[in-house]
Amino acid sequence: MLSRKVATFVASAAIVFGACSSTGGGSAAPASAAGGSAAASGGAGGAGCTVAVSWNNFQQPRWAAHDKPNIQKTVEAGGGTYIDADANLVNEQQLSDIDTLISKGAKVLILLAQDNKAVLPGLKKAQDAGIPVIAYDRLIEDPNILYITFDNVLVGKAEADAVIKKVPKGNYVLIKGDPGDPNASTFLPSGWDQAGLKDKVASGDIKLLNGPDGTFTDAWKTEKAQSNMEAIIDKAVSDGTKIDAILAENDSTALGVVGALTSKSYGYPPLSGQDGDPANLNNVAQGKQYVDVFKNANELGKAAGAAALKLCADPKTLGLTLPDGLVDASVAPTAGLTAQDFKTPGGTTVKSLILQPTPLTADTLQTAVDAGQISKADLCKGVDAATAPAACK
Amino acid sequence: MTNVADAAPVSGQTQPPARRSIGGLIAQTEIDLRLFGMLLALGLILLTFNILSGGKFFQPTNMVTLAVQASGIAIIATGMVLVIVSRNIDLSVGSLVGLIAMTYALLMTDVMPRILGMGPDFPFRWLIALGLGILLGAGVGALQGYIIAYVGVPSFIVTLGGLLSIRGAIWYMSNGAAVSGLDPIFQLIGGGAKGSVGGTLTWVLGVVGCIAIIALLLNGRRQRRHFGFPLRPMWAEVLLGVIGCIAVLGLAAFANANLWPKGISGGLDIPTGVPYPIVLLIGVTLVMTWLATRRRFGRYVYAYGGNPDAADLAGINTRRTVLKIYVVMGILCALAAAIAVARLNTATLDVGQSYELYVIAAAVVGGTSFAGGIGSIAGAVLGAFVMQSLAYGLSFMGVNSPGQNVVAGIVLILAVGFDAYNRRRGS
Amino acid sequence: MTVAQRTPLVEMKDINVAFGGVHAVRDVTIDLDAGEVIGLVGGNGAGKSTLMRVLSGAHPADSGVISIEGKPVTISNPRDAKAYNIETIYQTLALADNVDAPANLFLGREITTRLGNLDDSSMEAETRKVMGRLNPNFTRFAMPVKSLSGGQRQAVAIARAVHFNARIMIMDEPTAALGPAETGQVRNLVRQLKEDGIGIFLISHDIHDVFDLSDRISVMYHGRIVDTVNKADTDPDAVLGMIILGKKPDEVTQKELAELELRA
Repeated sequence: MLSRKVATFVASAAIVFGACSSTGGGSAAPASAAGGSAAASGGAGGAGCTVAVSWNNFQQPRWAAHDKPNIQKTVEAGGGTYIDADANLVNEQQLSDIDTLISKGAKVLILLAQDNKAVLPGLKKAQDAGIPVIAYDRLIEDPNILYITFDNVLVGKAEADAVIKKVPKGNYVLIKGDPGDPNASTFLPSGWDQAGLKDKVASGDIKLLNGPDGTFTDAWKTEKAQSNMEAIIDKAVSDGTKIDAILAENDSTALGVVGALTSKSYGYPPLSGQDGDPANLNNVAQGKQYVDVFKNANELGKAAGAAALKLCADPKTLGLTLPDGLVDASVAPTAGLTAQDFKTPGGTTVKSLILQPTPLTADTLQTAVDAGQISKADLCKGVDAATAPAACK
Repeated sequence: MTNVADAAPVSGQTQPPARRSIGGLIAQTEIDLRLFGMLLALGLILLTFNILSGGKFFQPTNMVTLAVQASGIAIIATGMVLVIVSRNIDLSVGSLVGLIAMTYALLMTDVMPRILGMGPDFPFRWLIALGLGILLGAGVGALQGYIIAYVGVPSFIVTLGGLLSIRGAIWYMSNGAAVSGLDPIFQLIGGGAKGSVGGTLTWVLGVVGCIAIIALLLNGRRQRRHFGFPLRPMWAEVLLGVIGCIAVLGLAAFANANLWPKGISGGLDIPTGVPYPIVLLIGVTLVMTWLATRRRFGRYVYAYGGNPDAADLAGINTRRTVLKIYVVMGILCALAAAIAVARLNTATLDVGQSYELYVIAAAVVGGTSFAGGIGSIAGAVLGAFVMQSLAYGLSFMGVNSPGQNVVAGIVLILAVGFDAYNRRRGS
Repeated sequence: MTVAQRTPLVEMKDINVAFGGVHAVRDVTIDLDAGEVIGLVGGNGAGKSTLMRVLSGAHPADSGVISIEGKPVTISNPRDAKAYNIETIYQTLALADNVDAPANLFLGREITTRLGNLDDSSMEAETRKVMGRLNPNFTRFAMPVKSLSGGQRQAVAIARAVHFNARIMIMDEPTAALGPAETGQVRNLVRQLKEDGIGIFLISHDIHDVFDLSDRISVMYHGRIVDTVNKADTDPDAVLGMIILGKKPDEVTQKELAELELRA
């Protein structure tokens, strides 16, 4: 009897206490700046600059593979110290992480907000402690942050640009992500419209087969996108209409679309996606996906690392300028290397560095290999030698 | 026996009074009214969508899509019936499906060619991978079953822990990436034009099914005569046989009316026949029904669910029975995972997510009761099809996922509420 | 009855059972002859059911020896008990409500075909035979036992005990939930079983039944046996006194006797 209760308690406790983690990456390496002992407040932002990163979901592969190494490398190359913590998708954990990072001596905070409202108390604590904050990849509605991100609207524009150029007239299917995610419902579709989707629908050049809003996909799940797309294909076939192009907002949904096209033996109309996931890049190489908009997170990490070092030296100037040549020219903000004003949806004006995404099609896949996003072997799995793209020859 | 719905019960029953009413006539055929009702409901749903879509819905190619989409959930649901009957639950099925799906993908793209020396041309590579997946499923199931049955931790907690920890483990297996590029033969498990048995074999299956139904009826009659039990009236036997054969052969014909897309058939009319996932589902349903009704294992599951003390006092090894249930669940998850990953040709991190909800809904809509002791395997399969027909139909008609979820939730409550109401009225 | 030199059918010697801080059965020694009915009586918590659960394998004893026809045996689970032809009719009947009568009858001891499948037809045929002797009007062999009446359920539980060639039977409150007609049927059955040479432990709180059917009466009080007497040598009042006071009649004080008469 007692052992049963103990067993239950232990099992429950194990689940409850399993949540916390840090990414295990905070290197405690002492600043090895050229010229000596760590001064308390950095002179040229080198020695004594501790840059803290508060991740919201380190589990997602991209952060460990691209963002973190580049932030860390850039910071340490500039003589700074890198520390971090992971909130594992929990708001309370992020607030507690920010406390911990402050107490560990953070001079600059790079913050990926799990929820841009719930994080505000943590933001305030950092600001009260005189720590400048960089909102990394995710917007925080506060006038005193530096917003470094890829613009999701530009991502949407790049997706639709490529597909519309390939298929300027015809029947389109729109596959969107989770209906509760503003990226899915607002930002990406607004980019599609900027590329001309709205105008072409109005003029009748493009006909939308699955309704003016398209089809949403719960939780961006690949399997759900697959079953939704299968139904759409069935409907199109029974209506006798041909699907000429498919705009999918990201790679996980695009993967489901490819699955549906395969199981229905429908062939592969031009299809968009974003994230540069290896499985999708492989599909691009095989001709099953047309364009994959790749946000080179390496560059984003470098930009944030460099910005953090500058803020260490001069915490008050959010309108800073990035060093030349740090960030790849094709990715650098269109407005130049100096942070510009950006009007948020909430009406606040923040300083921002907004990087450009890189659309990858079959002929530009080499960029992905060069950026370390995918190995040539993985990229070219199953690719027919006769129809192989340049990167696979 | 009456613990499982069975259209042709072998054991005898008092001849109901030969009333000249419809109710009396139906009673004489001894068909399970609940199952029959579900079949009618499914037909009604399909008919409604067909009318709403102007006749476009009820086409072979669409129904094949629908059936393949339902197959994975239906397979797991056959086992979930036994879990719920035994007064337990299994929340880990979705994560286990994801784990095994990732295992299949890693086996075929990495471990087999690189470590085991089994390249793409290795014979029966797909079968070996499938076998390993089944072993993994059985192993995880045995572990959970052991903790539930022998250590005594409630199944809700154990399988909830499984749901969380297994989903986390999947991330570590592939370092968070999706893994693609499965063995081409393995991909056939997912269905599609090439992943179907073909026209001839479908007819063969149809004929075999018809013969099997007739044989079952004849054998049942023979058994009853032998023991002196009351017989079903001849007209009822003939009617059941005819309806059964028409149904099976009709389904075969319907499957054969689904043709290869003209693009890949070179303009010819090639029937696809029954897709492999459906063949798998039919096989699983038959085996699970046999396990539940014709084996001691099934009898003990139901007895334990009805009265755990009585089962113990009867000398049944109830702990081993519960353990076996979870082993069965693990194996079913491995089969469903094969279908899911073959369909996508990729194992993503979220394969199988939320399956547990759909599976439990299917079992419950199919008549399984959370009080324990009551549940039907055929009902669960029908339940899965009912839920999926709604999802697919709404998708087909262009209703977005929020709308689909609202409908699914309402139907679930109605189905279970109707069942509870009926039971209360009956007792 | 002569003091038997012959070996008793069942002998339970120095049995002790304790759980949850309660010493439910203390140093109990009791025996049963073939063809004999022992009425086991006592108040709530006296330990009667626990003692019988030891014999039926539902709850092994902490110490003590059980012998069957003189040979010591180990009974650690219900299967063991059934192997020694000990059958039990539990107070709760221990039937699985969702399953039908044949399935309950053969629960744990199913008839299987050569291939190991359940032979439902044979089981039903056997059930019809057995139930036919006990309750000829019973026809609902395919209904879950939940939908049967109390008496029919009792009949199924009895049929289960009777069918498997029991030599020793334990009946725990067999008539508690029954009406007069069915109670009479159970009484007749007990007499029939006695004639067949089966030894029966009968737990009952109905003194009339006990005196009607038993050959000997054992009274338990707080886990101990107060006394085991031949029916002929005692009367209901004396037995009641032992049940309530836990003492043999000749040990009872005048004061206690007076209280007893006040209560009764």
